[in-house]
Amino acid sequence: MPNIRDLLERNAVSILSRLGANRHLDDDALLEIWAAATSTTDPHLTACAHCRARFASIDTWLDDLRTDARAEAEKATSPERLAAQQAQIFRRLEALERPARIITFPKFTRARGEQRRIVPRWVPTAAAAGLVIGLATGQLFNLTDMLNAPRPATNSGQLADNVPRPSGQAPSNPSVDEAIFYGDADLTARSAQFLSTLDELTPRARDDDRPR
Amino acid sequence: MTGAQTAGVPSREADSLAASAVKALQAEGRNQEARDRYAELVARHQRRAGRIAFHYMRDAAEADEAVQDAFVKAYSHLSTFREELPFEVWFTRILINGCLDRIKARTRRERWLVSMPESSPAQPDFAERMASGGPSPEAQLLARERRQQVAAALAKLPERQRSVFMLSHYEGCTSREVSALTGLNESTVRVHLFRAIRKLRTLLATDAEHQGLAGEKRRVNP
Repeated sequence: MPNIRDLLERNAVSILSRLGANRHLDDDALLEIWAAATSTTDPHLTACAHCRARFASIDTWLDDLRTDARAEAEKATSPERLAAQQAQIFRRLEALERPARIITFPKFTRARGEQRRIVPRWVPTAAAAGLVIGLATGQLFNLTDMLNAPRPATNSGQLADNVPRPSGQAPSNPSVDEAIFYGDADLTARSAQFLSTLDELTPRARDDDRPR
Repeated sequence: MTGAQTAGVPSREADSLAASAVKALQAEGRNQEARDRYAELVARHQRRAGRIAFHYMRDAAEADEAVQDAFVKAYSHLSTFREELPFEVWFTRILINGCLDRIKARTRRERWLVSMPESSPAQPDFAERMASGGPSPEAQLLARERRQQVAAALAKLPERQRSVFMLSHYEGCTSREVSALTGLNESTVRVHLFRAIRKLRTLLATDAEHQGLAGEKRRVNP
């Protein structure tokens, strides 16, 4: 059994330690009493009117805080809002139980699983028949020989063969391009002669440099 | 004042019964009946859940979403619910964790976004307020400012202190109930509550001083 005297002494020491210089409880001590909800059993608070008044003011301040906060929260949880919230909760719960649905891409009118391409049977038959007919026709007309047969010489080809070629250039197979290119050889030779005559007539710069 | 008032022993028993019934119906695959039975639990806890979520989120829409999420989560995880724990405690833990996650996400989001000036389209205009005979606009403005100050001060508290303060003071839960909800010791709950109030007083007193100084300046230099 604990010694009553010891208990009283311990209690007195704890109260004295909480008293400030002016022998009243400080704010922290009052808050501690409030938090522990021991205001009715605290010996100093029951004895001291000054501390009791301060405690009451703290209590009122905290009550005001609560009243204010609860009023604001109640305003945010109006019956209409709660009803809408409940409806939404049950919509979500129903959605949870429904199996997931695969939504098809808008381009396709049917789901991908359902989409099966059916090829008509006559298509491969027609393709095979086309191949056989093609081969038979090829054999019949001997298309390879027709392609490799020599072509009749054209006018431009003959002309190209008569044109003198530049030295070092071997005559190649006559073609239309060559005929066009070498076809103007006469004109080129004539204009060269004309230009050399003109060159002889023209005074040169070195003639001007000579002392007159 | 205590949480026992809001959720007494009879309602606690009813909660346990309802939760067990929903669990059994879910196991049997009778989903429609399970949902109907769950509606009882929702109706019983919805208002309180809304208040708690609002204290945390400070935004009606976000609180609404947090409550919805908590009820849906509780329903889908009801198979893990143990009957020895009150449904209220189990559900409130889910709700608080959800709110804290949302606050974290919001904080991360706000780091990158510039907040728009606060608009309150739901508030009635001057004529409506006068006609309704409610508090004067000045009183409403002062009340709103005070609420904002308290909310800002609460937001500055550490997470545990804030939770303990809101549950024990705003929701009137006892130390034991807060201990069950937060997983803290009862003595630790009291210590957190004391520290929370002390810090709140300091923060609000500092705010009041700042406002007083600003008022003095305005009077000197109108």
